[in-house]
Parts: sequence; C-alpha cells; structure tokens
Amino acid sequence: MYHYARKGPKRGVSLYSYSAEFGLTKNLEECFEDVHDMGAHGIEILANTHIENYPYPPAEWVDKWFALLEKYELEPIEYGHWVDSHVLKFRELTTEESAEMLCRDIRLAHRLGFKIMRTKMPVISASLDPVENWRDIIKSALPLAERLGMIMCPEIHNPTNLKSEMVQNYVDFIKETGTKSFGLNIDFSVFRTEFSEGEWRDPGFVPNVPEDIIPLLPYVPCCHAKYFNVDDSFQETTIPYKKILSILIENNWDGYLLSEYEGADKYDQDYEVGQTLRRQHIMMKNILGY
Amino acid sequence: MEKQVIQSVGFRNIFDEQGAPVGFQLKIRLPYYRGVYLSQIMQGNLVVDGQVYKKEQVIWRINGEDYTAEEMASDWNTHWHPLEPATLIVKKDGGLSQGFHDVEYGFCCSHSYFPPELEAAADPTKPELIFFPEFGHNINRRRMLIV
Repeated sequence: MYHYARKGPKRGVSLYSYSAEFGLTKNLEECFEDVHDMGAHGIEILANTHIENYPYPPAEWVDKWFALLEKYELEPIEYGHWVDSHVLKFRELTTEESAEMLCRDIRLAHRLGFKIMRTKMPVISASLDPVENWRDIIKSALPLAERLGMIMCPEIHNPTNLKSEMVQNYVDFIKETGTKSFGLNIDFSVFRTEFSEGEWRDPGFVPNVPEDIIPLLPYVPCCHAKYFNVDDSFQETTIPYKKILSILIENNWDGYLLSEYEGADKYDQDYEVGQTLRRQHIMMKNILGY
Repeated sequence: MEKQVIQSVGFRNIFDEQGAPVGFQLKIRLPYYRGVYLSQIMQGNLVVDGQVYKKEQVIWRINGEDYTAEEMASDWNTHWHPLEPATLIVKKDGGLSQGFHDVEYGFCCSHSYFPPELEAAADPTKPELIFFPEFGHNINRRRMLIV
C-alpha cells in the first residue's frame, strides 16, 4: 500500500467535499485523480457514501479500492461513519446494538486500510452533546479498536468550543481509560473569526484562538482543514491558517489536514469543488512548503 | 443517474403474466450525501395527476428486495446507498394511461446528528422548514411520459 513518508502536517482531502458531484458527474476514481492533481496524499471517505454496497462491499470493490489508492498515491486516512443509535423512531438503540454497529465499522475501516475513524454519535441537544451512554458504547468497542490499532474520533466543530465541557469530557475519558484508541478530530471551523454580512452564525459560538489547540494535540491524529473563502491571492480570509499551521509545526504535530468544504454553493449548477479545493491547497502548500 | 430526485428512467407500467397492466413504477434517488438505513426514511404521499397514494400503498424496492412501509420502519440493517436509486411500485388496475403524468413524491430522512427539536419537526408530507441543498427537498415533482 502507498505510504507518504513525510513527518509533520500533511495535505489531504475529505471526499465529503464532492457531495454535490459524487455519483452524478464524478465517480470515485475521478475524485481520487482530482486529489492527486493537488499533490495531496491523504483521503477521508464517508463509509455510507463511498463504499459500494456498504456495509458489505464485494471483494472486487475492495481490490479496486487498493488499486486506486496505489495508482493515485493516496493513503486511506480517515473513515467517516455514524453510530446511528437514533435510527429507529420508536426507541433508541441499546448500548449493545450501537456497539455492534460501531464494531462492524471498525472491522470494515481496518479492512480498507484506515487507522483513524471520525465517529459521529447522535446528539441530544442544540449544543450538540452526544447521547448519554456514549462512554459505554465506546468502551464496548475499545478492545477491538485497540487490537486493530484503530482510533475513534468525534469531530469538534463550530459551535463547540475547544475549551468546552464536551471536549473536557472526551479528554477525561481518554485519561481515565488510558486508551490510545479514542481521540479528537479538530475541525478548523472552531477558529473562524469572520462571517459574511447576513450569514447565519450560531449565537453560542465563540471562536477559539489557534493556541487553544496546543493542549489537545496529543489526542488529535488528524484535523478537518475547514475553509470558507480562499481569495484570488490564495489567502483564507475567515480562518487564521498561517498561525494554526505554524503552531502545528512548532509542536511537532504529525498528521493529516483533511480539506472539508461545506459551502452550500457547491450545489450550484456547474460548480466544481475541485477548483475551490485547489485554491485551499495552494494556500496550505505555500505555508507548509510542500 | 440523473440529477433530479425523480428519475425519468424507470417510469413505466408493470404487467402480470398475461401482459395486462396491473400497476406502475418509478425510481427515485437519495438526495442526501450519505446512505441511510431503511428505518431512517420517512415516507409521505405519492401523488400522480392529483390521485394520492398513501405510504401503505407504495412498495420500495431496494437492492432487488421489496419492502412495505411497515417493514421499513423497523429495518435498521438494510442500507439504501445514494448511488442506487430505489424503485417505487404501486398497484393500479390498468396502470397509467399513455401520455403525460404529473408525479409528486414526498420523503425525508432522519439524521441522528441534528438537534432533537429539528428532527422532531421533519414531515415528509410538507416542504422542509429549512432547505439545505445536501439533504434535498422533501417534496419532488416531475412531469413524465408513459408510452
């Protein structure tokens, strides 16, 4: 399997960015080639979207998956998935049922060569708190994850603050269990300082300063390199990228920055998200030097 | 696969062994960016030329298997992939007549990562409260031809 040997922050792309095009105007190979064009070497997939016949892909598809990774010099970095314990309208799944769903994804992520999972748990409040039994669900899956060298990561995303109780609860859980199989994916939306006029902004959102990520870095195997506006001189005007990436480098952080574009304009006619991704990758390449 | 949720390919009458039309079918794609389990799907009404077919009258065919609305409500193992349109099958003696038909279908999905109040407000028989392009519209319409 292809391996990109560089240490430090590395460029990658979440294929979620292609949500308006995938299956209509682009197939998996075309997404891979687009990422390859950018000189990026890591990818994130969404299991329920990008895996044929999920959660039971045919063996031929898995063979093709590895062939495409090799061909386009890509590493499978993050496996996006959901613990859908609210999947039934009349009752919540039991901890055992949720853990079973989670373990099935851990096995599939491992089969596809991933080491990191973006584990999304159902939320129970407007401030995005996870289900109350999240610790029990994760604990049930830890032995399998540890055996396979997998790390499950909730994503920390605007409006959540890096200094919030939710994040502290996750960190406490890691310390209490001593596990290396649970961590955090920090989405750079938490650092967003600028909003366009009239744009919706969560009233509870307080942006973090880049330094706030430092104490969390031991638990962060990858980040969502969120961006909103990269201008024609290839500057991100809403997130202090230069400062964030400098902090990652100074702290010897080693991992992937996975671009994730969420702008609703990607659904506009003839929009090619690859062109927006390229802007952002020029920006990151200019800062990183590679 | 076509961009519109209601696919023009797959719209036709269905026939019994003697060749008599006994109903019709059409295909829809999932406009959501990720696949869902069948229990996450909330079905509204299928309306053809003003005639309403309730969810109990519509069979969903996914990966070659047929499911009633009741079966779907408790099925959290069968997954509907966004690249595999589902076929909707309706019994109707004589099928649909030759010519144009105005087809409207309402459905939406639960998300699990939305705040509960937003989830509870979802109603597949009505337009969505807030439109997000990555979830698509609840109600989709298309005018199509039966030969």
